[in-house]
Amino acid sequence: MDKTEASVYLSQFIGKNLRIHTSDNRIFGGQMKCTDKDRNIILALTYEYRAPPPETIKKAVEESGNPSTPVSWNSRYVGLVVVPGAHVKKIEFEESGYGKSNVVL
Amino acid sequence: MQQSTRPPEPKVHDITEKFTRACNALEVGQLVKDDLFTLFESIGALEIMDSKMDSGFLKPGETLEHDYDALNSILPEELVGIMDQLLCHEMAWHTGYPLSQTLFTSVYIDNLLWPEPKTLAQAQFYRGSIPDERRPGVLLEALRAYCLAVIKCCDYVIAKVTGRDYFEEEDFCTHTYNRVLFVQIPLDVFMRELDAAIENIESEPDLSEDVRSAIITRLQFRKDFLIALDPDCPLSQLESYWPPIRSNLQPIKDTQPLGKPVPSSFTTKIQRRLASTVPPRPIVEFEFKDAFEKLQQICTDCEQATNFVDLPSDPIEFQSFLWAYAGRKPAPLTYARSYLGTILFHPETLNTGMSLPLLDVKGLVYPLSPVTDQSNWALSPPRNPLMPKSPRLQLSLLVDEFIERASQPYLDFWTALGQNRCRLRRMMTHVIIGWDNLQADAGIVDEDINRVVDEMGIREQVLHDALTTWTYHKKLWMVERIVLLGFEQDIYLPDEYASMYNFLSIIASRRALVLSRISEHHAQRIASGIIDTSDPENVEYASHIESLQCEATALQDLSAAMAKLYTVLLYLRLVPVPKRPFSTEELRYELRMKPFLALQPPEVEPFAQHQALLQPFGPYERPNAAFAASMLDPKSGLWTDMEAALQNAKGRLQGMKKQGAAGAKASGAETAWKEEFKGLVESAVLFGVVIARLKGAVRKVEGSESGVAVDVKVEIPAIVVGTKCSDRWIVPTVSQKLK
Repeated sequence: MDKTEASVYLSQFIGKNLRIHTSDNRIFGGQMKCTDKDRNIILALTYEYRAPPPETIKKAVEESGNPSTPVSWNSRYVGLVVVPGAHVKKIEFEESGYGKSNVVL
Repeated sequence: MQQSTRPPEPKVHDITEKFTRACNALEVGQLVKDDLFTLFESIGALEIMDSKMDSGFLKPGETLEHDYDALNSILPEELVGIMDQLLCHEMAWHTGYPLSQTLFTSVYIDNLLWPEPKTLAQAQFYRGSIPDERRPGVLLEALRAYCLAVIKCCDYVIAKVTGRDYFEEEDFCTHTYNRVLFVQIPLDVFMRELDAAIENIESEPDLSEDVRSAIITRLQFRKDFLIALDPDCPLSQLESYWPPIRSNLQPIKDTQPLGKPVPSSFTTKIQRRLASTVPPRPIVEFEFKDAFEKLQQICTDCEQATNFVDLPSDPIEFQSFLWAYAGRKPAPLTYARSYLGTILFHPETLNTGMSLPLLDVKGLVYPLSPVTDQSNWALSPPRNPLMPKSPRLQLSLLVDEFIERASQPYLDFWTALGQNRCRLRRMMTHVIIGWDNLQADAGIVDEDINRVVDEMGIREQVLHDALTTWTYHKKLWMVERIVLLGFEQDIYLPDEYASMYNFLSIIASRRALVLSRISEHHAQRIASGIIDTSDPENVEYASHIESLQCEATALQDLSAAMAKLYTVLLYLRLVPVPKRPFSTEELRYELRMKPFLALQPPEVEPFAQHQALLQPFGPYERPNAAFAASMLDPKSGLWTDMEAALQNAKGRLQGMKKQGAAGAKASGAETAWKEEFKGLVESAVLFGVVIARLKGAVRKVEGSESGVAVDVKVEIPAIVVGTKCSDRWIVPTVSQKLK
């Protein structure tokens, strides 16, 4: 992939919703604003999602008796954030449920 | 049914690998970004995984949740301690810290607010069902009632502050981080909770008497405080709310040592769950002593604000009250200022027979005048619009037109008066621009009024260009206060004092001139028998104009004398002059005059003229021979001008005293007015002493630059911002030189 190709590919995601998984197992969902060679990613209007602590999950499972009972994640608004490339574990593109977006994956 | 309303689930694609490859292909320094996204904006982004910026970051081994159990039973002493801790946090918030660093660090408060309860009954330290033995006891229930009331207090405070002009994060933080502070739940529900708690504590057997009464006092205080903060209090009863609070304050302070604080019930970890676009911040440590002082201050300031309700319906009285309130020491907190603002802008206050700006105009330029005769407003326009309107009707329409035009600048002026002292000065520099524009418009209306008045043949009864005069007077008053506040807030450096006092003197002389024109006209009307001098309205008016005149002239003379003294000190090289390698006197003058450069009138003097006036003996470093001669001759103009000006100022101050606070229309703020007046008099007296000592200590020194020296030590006192009103008059001290 040359740099023009790379730039075209990455530009598709500007303004689109990305979910970025970080090395400490949080997920940041927000609109991509900017990225660079080091894979630092700036997201706007971001929410932070965090898995509930193991005790809470254990308790929920015990109470419901169902080992795959759903437990809701904690979320909060954090606004404009930059996720340093070193901490990016996984990047997901969130395609709107309403019809296809013109993104070439 | 529900299926169709739900938006379709988004599809999620893992793009990690290709995204990473694409990034690697980019050049160093190359950015792929939204065109509208700027570097400036990116600076505001929080860096994830940076412990200083990311409030969600966990240090190795750190747990997400705190381990404080809010259902663990507490000791009675701990209850008192926690209540006082909450009070400290509440007051810290009042002084400007955000809730996230203060009250929202309490586990108890957090448990009540999150997950968001649908009803007050759900707002417990736990959610859902718990075994009976875990249910909170009487003490925890009392704490719950107290916490609920604290939260509601915050809600009321936010409602009041946001209802007025304030500056978010400068004055106050109203951010609630997506927590709802029981906005919908009415006051009586909280009262019931508190009452029930008081009853339970009263009948609880295992409590020592002093702790019991400490708890009850706190609950009772919270009740009274909550009632007083209620934004829907009727205006007429406001003053009855604060005295009961005051009576509970001392016992709270006395019983504070009984309490046992529980620091572990407060944690910054809660910040991780607050919607927050700011980095994590530590808990604010606010001592009980300081918090208690702030609480007392809020209570006395609010109580003082309730006096506003009893003021005579006169805009100048309002103005004096607002001015005095902003000058209270220590400065009132944001809540107290909003509290006064709410009373000022309450419909009941503004609902006067005549609109307040009109009353203001009438009180200065149209006393007992046919222009503002109430009956003018009772005339109806002719049925046929082509018929000419009666002159009196025309007058009322013209005046109305002007008042409508003036309402925005007038509102801006009052809004500025409701700010803290520093911002008041800055805001007034903007407000005067609005008044300058108003003055131009006033001229147009004045022409029309003059025409109608001539038509009516009552020329001698009406002050010429009255509306312009009124606007100009108000503007000059503001310019004076801007300069005086500059001194009070230590804006100017000692070597600028001469220049600024000189400017003040020019402005005050303009105002004195305007006032003398007004009073001459008034005297003429009396002489020609148009006004009955025994009319109470006339008596009040005459006293007010006299007071204003005395004040303006006193300011003019005192500041002129001060300017002269500082000029002498500059020549004697007794004023510290800092090194300024990159600035010139002209640029500094322009900078100081910047807020006033746009005004016309009063036009700022050109620099050359200003310099000629302030450097009568040539440059300060090398004065000409006339300086030494004038200094050595006690009968020279240098000394006599200064002494005469001071003498004149003292006489005028006596005149001001005779008219009193009532004459100045400051009867509602009499204490403050008297104090300000006392400061003026004291400064004038001290100043006289300084002149005399200085004069006596001059001796000839051959060969020195100025040709003279003084045998005394001259010190310019440092201003401590926020101490005394007389700080606006910086009188140097003169003492014997140590041999």
